[in-house]
Amino acid sequence: MEQITVGIPRGLLYFRYRTVWKTLFKELGFKVIVSEPTTQETADIGSALTVDEGCLAQKLFFGHVSSLVGRCDYIFIPRIRNYGKSRELCVRFMALYDMAVNMFRGSGQKFLTYSVDEWKSVSEKESVLELAKTLDLPTKRVKAAYKTAVKADEERQKELLQKQSERLKRNGLKILIAAHSYVIEDNFVGKPITEYLKKSGAVPIRADVVDRDSAFKKSLELSSTCKWTVNQEIMSGILSYEDRVDGIILLSTFPCGQDAMVNELILRRVGDMPMLNLVVDGQSGTAGLETRLESFLDIIRFKKGAL
Amino acid sequence: MDFIKTVALPRYAEYNCTFRYILEKGLDVKYLLQPPLTQHTLEIGAKYSPDFVCTPFKTTLGSMIEALEAGADTLIMIFGLCKLGYYGELQEQILRDLGYKFDCINFSDFDTGRKKDYIRGLKRINPKMSFAKFAVAGMEAIKMGDYLDEITGEYYKNYGFAQDRKAYQHAYKAFLRDMYAAGSKSDIEEGYRRAKDAMSRIPLDKPLKPLRVGVIGEFYTAMDAFSNLETEQKLADMGVEVHRWMTATNRVIHYPGETNLNVKIQEYCRYEMGPTSTANIWSAKTYAEKGFDGIVHIKSANCTPEIDIMPVLQNIGNDYKIPILYLTFDAQTSDVGLMTRLEAFYDMIAMRKKVIV
Repeated sequence: MEQITVGIPRGLLYFRYRTVWKTLFKELGFKVIVSEPTTQETADIGSALTVDEGCLAQKLFFGHVSSLVGRCDYIFIPRIRNYGKSRELCVRFMALYDMAVNMFRGSGQKFLTYSVDEWKSVSEKESVLELAKTLDLPTKRVKAAYKTAVKADEERQKELLQKQSERLKRNGLKILIAAHSYVIEDNFVGKPITEYLKKSGAVPIRADVVDRDSAFKKSLELSSTCKWTVNQEIMSGILSYEDRVDGIILLSTFPCGQDAMVNELILRRVGDMPMLNLVVDGQSGTAGLETRLESFLDIIRFKKGAL
Repeated sequence: MDFIKTVALPRYAEYNCTFRYILEKGLDVKYLLQPPLTQHTLEIGAKYSPDFVCTPFKTTLGSMIEALEAGADTLIMIFGLCKLGYYGELQEQILRDLGYKFDCINFSDFDTGRKKDYIRGLKRINPKMSFAKFAVAGMEAIKMGDYLDEITGEYYKNYGFAQDRKAYQHAYKAFLRDMYAAGSKSDIEEGYRRAKDAMSRIPLDKPLKPLRVGVIGEFYTAMDAFSNLETEQKLADMGVEVHRWMTATNRVIHYPGETNLNVKIQEYCRYEMGPTSTANIWSAKTYAEKGFDGIVHIKSANCTPEIDIMPVLQNIGNDYKIPILYLTFDAQTSDVGLMTRLEAFYDMIAMRKKVIV
């Protein structure tokens, strides 16, 4: 029997859950392909496909989906609503699967999905089992594969935290970047920024790399009603690392309303720290970005008396 | 004498009459009604808001400032399923930074899914509240909301065909005044009957097959006439029968639930795509099936759930061959652009009707 191919778009939640997804499908005997890192072309295709009012991250995501259409048996787009009350994700992640199905309905492309809604008692594990049922896979094997996937993800978390503490020990200006993983890790959006910081002798630190289990409780010190899991993690990251960094960059994609609200609150509540609120759109050059980053670094150095 | 709070909420379509009823009759506090939304409200709201937040955040912030300046000492913030759930905390912070002093009761703080927490929220408004009284006033306020949505719906369906449009509008405005002034159940009932009676006495010149347009859209902007620059009134002025399922009572009180509504749109979406998405997709499909001449989709700038259902609406438009006009409202100052688009839309659906019928 020929191996079934599952395509995973390299966008949005991929950066957060890639280890779980890739391990899971590999363990189940699928061939996994991931779309290529974002380029200008991805952005152009994504923008042409989507409503222009959507956010840049969403446009890139559909650029990735489009690059997988026709290249695999299934494209995997889960619907993740929440991990319990007050542990929600952006409402956009509720809609992605149905959007893709509607956008590509003439193409004959098949999609795979599962839905996580723990508030309504549908956990990730149950939804994975549900998905496996539609593919006629034996439950026992799926359970084992899911276990392996979760374990692999825990390892990756540990590794990320390990790397983070190493970076914090390094010499040089430390800049905390508060952004979603799909913003900071994306080749087209966040990479040019982290690369520039490194080139300028600064050490980028990620605010979203924190111990996820304690993040919610910690974030309550900064905001009591923020219900978005990732933003809670970022806020807890700011609280945990603010003493050890020299400045914070609040990085979001145009026009993310959720980040606009949370960042506004951070700007108002986190005091006495140089902060840069940077909103990135699908620009084709990085000159403007570099000017802003350069002057931000200059201000910090000036404040420290190093300039 | 005990201190009595003067409570306010942001302006929200014409629903403030129900808020007033519940707060004054059910919770024994004073309710303050700030002036209606104006360009000034939106301007001060937008001035202090982050740029990319959805427009209702800006409108409601402006309306809260106007309430505080009119003498309110307590603001109530509600919770919601989308960005709305975070409005309260950020708006409070912005108002505090501006120097306003007030008591803030943010229901997002009590939105835990547990009943006793919501009750704690109510007790914050008035610690001496009586549940029996609150329950009775609550039921009556819901009735008022139902009547409000019914009469408003009837008004926009028939206004364009009334022989005496002025009198028709007058009857509707009188009804709104009655609801804002209602002090008892009988006041509500009487006001409703009076309006029904007055409106039905005005003869209509409605053709056998009038132009019918279904309005769908976002929870705040689609219902609030100021926020959508009176789109429904403008359509009615042109002689269109305007329908809208999306009302506060339909979505909050009489909602058939995600599961039981989603089942009717399974060919378009497998999941609930957002808090109002299922209802709007279902409405659009229903209007299309009933042979409406067009659909108008109303949302505020940067409303995530409504942006995300647009690919589905486009498919419904293609499948049923029904024109859909997509309107996005931000802090604009003029309705000339809107008028041009609505006129073009009207001309198009009117011509289509002549060709098809």
